[in-house]
Amino acid sequence: MPLFLFKRFLQALLVLIGVSFSTFIVAHMTGDPVELMARENATLEDKQALREFLGLDRPLAEQYLSFVGKALQGDLGYSFVQQAPVTQLIAERLPATLLLAAAGFVLALLISVPLGIIIALKRNTVWDVVVTALAMIGQAAPGFWIGLMLVVLFAVELKLLPVSGYGGPLYLVLPAITLALQSAARLTRLVRASMLEVLNADYIRTARSKGLRERTILFIHAFRGAMIPVVTMAGLELAELVSGAFITETIFAWPGVGRLAVNAVYQRDFPLIQGVVLMAAAFFVIINFLVDVLYVVIDPRVKLK
Amino acid sequence: MKLHRSLTAGLVALTLAMPAHTAWSQDAEPVVIASSEDVISLDPHMLDSNNPTGSVIWSVFDSLVRRAPDGTSVPRLATEWERVDDVTWRFKLREGVTFSNGEPFNAAAVQVNFARMNTAPFNSVQQLHDQTGLTEVRIIDDYTIELVTEKPTVNMLYWLAEAFIAAPDYITNTAPDVVASAPVGSGPYVLGEWNRGDSLTLVANDAYWGGAPAVKTVTFRAIPEVSSRLNELRAGTVDLVVGITPDSAEQANSDVSDLVRIEGLRKMHMGISIKGEQPALADVRVRQALNHAVDVPTIVASLMGGSTSPLVSIVNPPNNNPDLTPFAYDPEKAKALLAEAGFPDGFPLTLQWSTRFDGGKEVSEVVGAYLEQVGIQPTYEAVEIGQFRAGLSSASLKGIYFQGWAALINPSVELVILTCGHVDNSSGYCNPEYDKLVIEASQTLDDQARQKLEFAAQEIIWNDAPWLYLWRLPSFFGISKELSYEFRADNYLEPYLITYK
Repeated sequence: MPLFLFKRFLQALLVLIGVSFSTFIVAHMTGDPVELMARENATLEDKQALREFLGLDRPLAEQYLSFVGKALQGDLGYSFVQQAPVTQLIAERLPATLLLAAAGFVLALLISVPLGIIIALKRNTVWDVVVTALAMIGQAAPGFWIGLMLVVLFAVELKLLPVSGYGGPLYLVLPAITLALQSAARLTRLVRASMLEVLNADYIRTARSKGLRERTILFIHAFRGAMIPVVTMAGLELAELVSGAFITETIFAWPGVGRLAVNAVYQRDFPLIQGVVLMAAAFFVIINFLVDVLYVVIDPRVKLK
Repeated sequence: MKLHRSLTAGLVALTLAMPAHTAWSQDAEPVVIASSEDVISLDPHMLDSNNPTGSVIWSVFDSLVRRAPDGTSVPRLATEWERVDDVTWRFKLREGVTFSNGEPFNAAAVQVNFARMNTAPFNSVQQLHDQTGLTEVRIIDDYTIELVTEKPTVNMLYWLAEAFIAAPDYITNTAPDVVASAPVGSGPYVLGEWNRGDSLTLVANDAYWGGAPAVKTVTFRAIPEVSSRLNELRAGTVDLVVGITPDSAEQANSDVSDLVRIEGLRKMHMGISIKGEQPALADVRVRQALNHAVDVPTIVASLMGGSTSPLVSIVNPPNNNPDLTPFAYDPEKAKALLAEAGFPDGFPLTLQWSTRFDGGKEVSEVVGAYLEQVGIQPTYEAVEIGQFRAGLSSASLKGIYFQGWAALINPSVELVILTCGHVDNSSGYCNPEYDKLVIEASQTLDDQARQKLEFAAQEIIWNDAPWLYLWRLPSFFGISKELSYEFRADNYLEPYLITYK
């Protein structure tokens, strides 16, 4: 286990360095942020002065090394546009994103796992057909459309919930449902497929022939085995949610990391882009690690080396 | 199944148990303003956008003069002014004004602020020094200053309206990120709470020298999606909506809200890149032919829903030369002009647009379809905004491009952008005769003589056609039926002027 942790840590470091380097290169390839920042009628001298002020006149290698050096000390730089430290900007947005991600994720699991198991057990019945069809529609329908329809019904017509914004628990309901429905649609189909595969496996037949109760077979034997692919997928879904659900955040004016990231890209706010991408990569690394640990918990045959 | 059922039941119970919003009743209620963008930085000297950042800065800070909606300058922190000689302006400052941290407003405060504007990075955004040639801020006494410019200028008051005065000790001795997030001014409001990316609340400054505003609390919310903004307006949870697209404008009319349409100041056009990849565009007859080939009034009526009107000059009313008339839609004349210029079979032409203005693709395609009728072969190209801006400032876009310019009422500033080599002269147009008139006008202090020069310059540029003239960009706002407010064409909001009906 310690060796495993050490190897994982080194891997994570490599991933983060790779991500920071490619983000740096890609961001600089998009062009000069000064073109977007300076006022429309700024002179060439004004622009050059701004470039020097932002440190963009230095050689690329120097800029990158200075970024890495500061990042190692926990300083992700200073946003060009918003004139605030990047860590502060991310820290301000992160709670909203984590809250929405957690709510959407839990809701998605609460919907998809039971539903997937039920339709796997009732396969080829009308339930199976209806739920599978709904899941496919849910997966195909664009998230922004579902979100807007929910708003029109629950907020504008029925006036039960706020249209958009970030505040008390009521503000969380519609965006969380919008996010959860998309995730749930994908996960339900996966749970169903994975359950079906396990239910047809030899060890389940053995368990049945031993005369075990169906409930024991289902929850003790089948469920665990079926959860491995679901945990993998759910981990990825969660990592994606944490790195910001831009479209849902936009419709519901949710002040999350996704909007911060997209605006940073539009404005070529290099330090902010790098900060947000690094943060997202870090979450992916952490969640992948947790997923690996979960494998051991679910399936004792898996060993972490 | 059981789990699922109880979850559903729980959600329903939750929704039903919650009381309705408390924000319905209206008496002296906070006013909520929804814009598409976030408030960015509250450093008054980094201001580069009108709404919402500009609206907040206009509310927290005062400038020496206020720019009225019609473009005239009215007193604000300066109570009166006069021109002492051709290059010197003298301003009497308002007495007894204090900043929200208790610092007094006086001549020294003006000097400190103007000096800061002229240093990096602020000077890449602030226009006062560049546009007026301001060289010296002279303190005569505590409440009198003189501004000295390099040459005579007619634009001093115009740019002073955007030069905001912050508490001098505070901005001098405070870290830049604190200045940008905790503003200290003397305006009608002070900052209440700012949740970056979500909302910003202003609280009335009851000690404001101009009297406490009617609306005590104003919240600016960032709601990026236009349908969400309109849904909020219709649900009664937002009182004022900025940035409504023409296709969704009608949705602002509901039982609790009204649509307001303002004919904007920004002059939309297809810029004609004279030094671009199509040499034919250097011929004035070709540029006139392009203008005759496109039926602008019909596009305004159909694509724009009649919400605006065609351009009549490159200078906004009321300063436009009334003798100019729009190019008539006349494809035969266009063809004849093209043939005369040596292009009877037309030529290939690239039409470009960016995301800077809504509808770039649609407008370009309609214009292209008209140009096809006179034999020009259009190709279409969307350009990333940064590249597009770089292309504008180096006058190196390919053919013709969708762009809007100068959302202001100031003939001198509107005309100067098309002088030879000017940084905003994105079409690469150059006519020394025009330059001479424009420069002379900008230094002519006599109103009548200046107008004569400006009219002459407008006539030259109109017929030289460095643009394919389109229309004035309309603005749409939504407002609650409980409020009354006179919207500005430049998209700034001044919440202290909002009143309850």
